[in-house]
Amino acid sequence: MMRVGALVRGDDQSALEVLSLARALGGDAAETYLILAAPAAQHAAAGAARAVVLEGIADADPAQLLAAAQALIGAAPPDVLLIPDGPLFEAVGAQLAGSIDRPAARDVGSVAIEDGRLQIVKGAFGGKAEVTLDAGEGAVLGVRQGAHQADELPQAAPQVLEFAQPAPLLSGRRAVRDASGEDLGRAKVIVSGGRGLGSAEAYRSLREVANLLGGALGASRAAVDEGWASPSQQVGITGQKVAPEVYLAIGISGASQHLSGMSGSKVVIAVNRDDKAPIFAAADVGVVADWQALWPELRRALAGG
Amino acid sequence: MRAIAFVKSILDPEAPPGAIRFDAGKALGDVPQVLGPYEGNALELAVQIAEASQGEFRAVALGGPEQEAGLRKALALGAAQAMRVDVPSGFHDPLDTARQLKAAADALGGADVYLFGRQAGDWDQGVTAGLFAGLAGLPLVPLVQAAEVAGAGLKVRREIAGGYEEGEIAVPCVLSASNGPGTLLRLPKVKDVMLANRKPIELRAGAQSGAGFRVSDLKASVTSRAGRRIEGDLKAQAEGLAQELRRAIPGIGGGA
Ligand SMILES: Cc1cc2nc3c(=O)[nH]c(=O)nc-3n(C[C@H](O)[C@H](O)[C@H](O)COP(=O)(O)OP(=O)(O)OC[C@H]3O[C@@H](n4cnc5c(N)ncnc54)[C@H](O)[C@@H]3O)c2cc1C
Repeated sequence: MMRVGALVRGDDQSALEVLSLARALGGDAAETYLILAAPAAQHAAAGAARAVVLEGIADADPAQLLAAAQALIGAAPPDVLLIPDGPLFEAVGAQLAGSIDRPAARDVGSVAIEDGRLQIVKGAFGGKAEVTLDAGEGAVLGVRQGAHQADELPQAAPQVLEFAQPAPLLSGRRAVRDASGEDLGRAKVIVSGGRGLGSAEAYRSLREVANLLGGALGASRAAVDEGWASPSQQVGITGQKVAPEVYLAIGISGASQHLSGMSGSKVVIAVNRDDKAPIFAAADVGVVADWQALWPELRRALAGG
Repeated sequence: MRAIAFVKSILDPEAPPGAIRFDAGKALGDVPQVLGPYEGNALELAVQIAEASQGEFRAVALGGPEQEAGLRKALALGAAQAMRVDVPSGFHDPLDTARQLKAAADALGGADVYLFGRQAGDWDQGVTAGLFAGLAGLPLVPLVQAAEVAGAGLKVRREIAGGYEEGEIAVPCVLSASNGPGTLLRLPKVKDVMLANRKPIELRAGAQSGAGFRVSDLKASVTSRAGRRIEGDLKAQAEGLAQELRRAIPGIGGGA
């Protein structure tokens, strides 16, 4: 029988999904490891919960999270450890796996145990493919958010461990908020620009579009690399995963890695001058046009009502 | 300082849809092999760290002959040595990959800074840097957007939710590189590309453990929308688009 555990931080939706998955796989024996922010808040604790409390982890320090995770799982880690894929897995998932000599995978959609072997399905080739892996007898898995249902979980008070919090990863650390201030996660409308805009100035014209539409400003990786947008504005497989009501993609070719981040949008509208651009196959509405030429007309049309 | 950049090459991630086929657990297609973009960010940091510390960097890749693309690029940008850990092309268990890269790095005499890309665009595993750090017992700085030599250590900038964090870290350490203001890969000079083509790439026999993850199925994922085009001249397109936006977003552009 495989031992199944879940490592979560706090009690957000992705944590509840992973706790539920651990219970579905491991039943009542599933082990729960909780990282709590001080002061310890309400949490859903399924099964035999162990917890540590970290002080001031607003920025999710990797060294402190790793030490907490190692203290929680102790000398006898479960065979399968599930972690929400996101900041927690990014900070500690693979390193924890290496330190206990286990393989690791992230962006994991489904997880099953068949004949004592772990079977997982995850994305590959930037979302162009899906791979099923026989993952052997144990692994640390980053579970894709939204891939599993969050069930009603039995509540139990966790056993809080004594924990000596180490120094943060970086000394003399200073956190800087992104100057763009875009909140893509919450935006109902996102206007994203890509390399096809051709210049920082043309990218700035999207600010006006976003303002007119009451939306936030996103970008492709290429637009970030050009320095027109900041990294936290990147939408895609290695950027933000967004699902607004309307996603307007301008001068973006539609590489699968970009599409992976915005395919959950309700309505996708694309403007691209190449009628064969892959973005059109991922859009509900397409306009084949040069943005520079279209923009003055669109501004007029929007203002004219 | 001594740095090692791990430079994986992949099928061009910008290849158009359908150009890569998935068959019998393999990705196939007449698509060029290129250095992964995040591995390019790692390589850029290696070049900068070597330059600033008057040290040197080496490049290592694991796989078949297709891995030459990235190794040659590293040589063109001044790598003191390039090594390929020779294993069959295709999927490789991530823990075994990290183990073999660690053994290769040790054989090269180790380094102060080990640089990985945050995620390679073939199997999208995004775990190699972490596994390597975990096996080696070294600190890992995830998602590095810039790094500079500061005394005996490094000053780094790394991505965090909604912004970034800066601070110092002692060496030895492992960095996973992301795209940001300090990691855009420079272009090698044509002359250096030509010279690099004549330099040797060392081969290190890879061990075949056979343990760990195995591909049991690989298939293309299909997602497409029934796209409708807004036709006509620019004015008609703009009006059609404005209408579409008004329909989708109640309360905008209400007519001034
Ligand atoms: C592991 C990995 C992770 C990645 N993660 C991401 C990610 O998270 N997000 C992401 O975006 N990318 C990501 N990428 C990169 C991705 O593969 C593409 O390189 C990138 O999305 C291309 O950006 P783009 O569409 O802006 O540029 P391009 O592909 O260069 O497209 C520009 C488009 O603009 C059009 N155009 C040109 N001029 C005009 C004009 N005047 N008017 C209108 N249209 C015009 C062109 O026809 C073209 O279609 C990743 C890649 C890898 C390997």
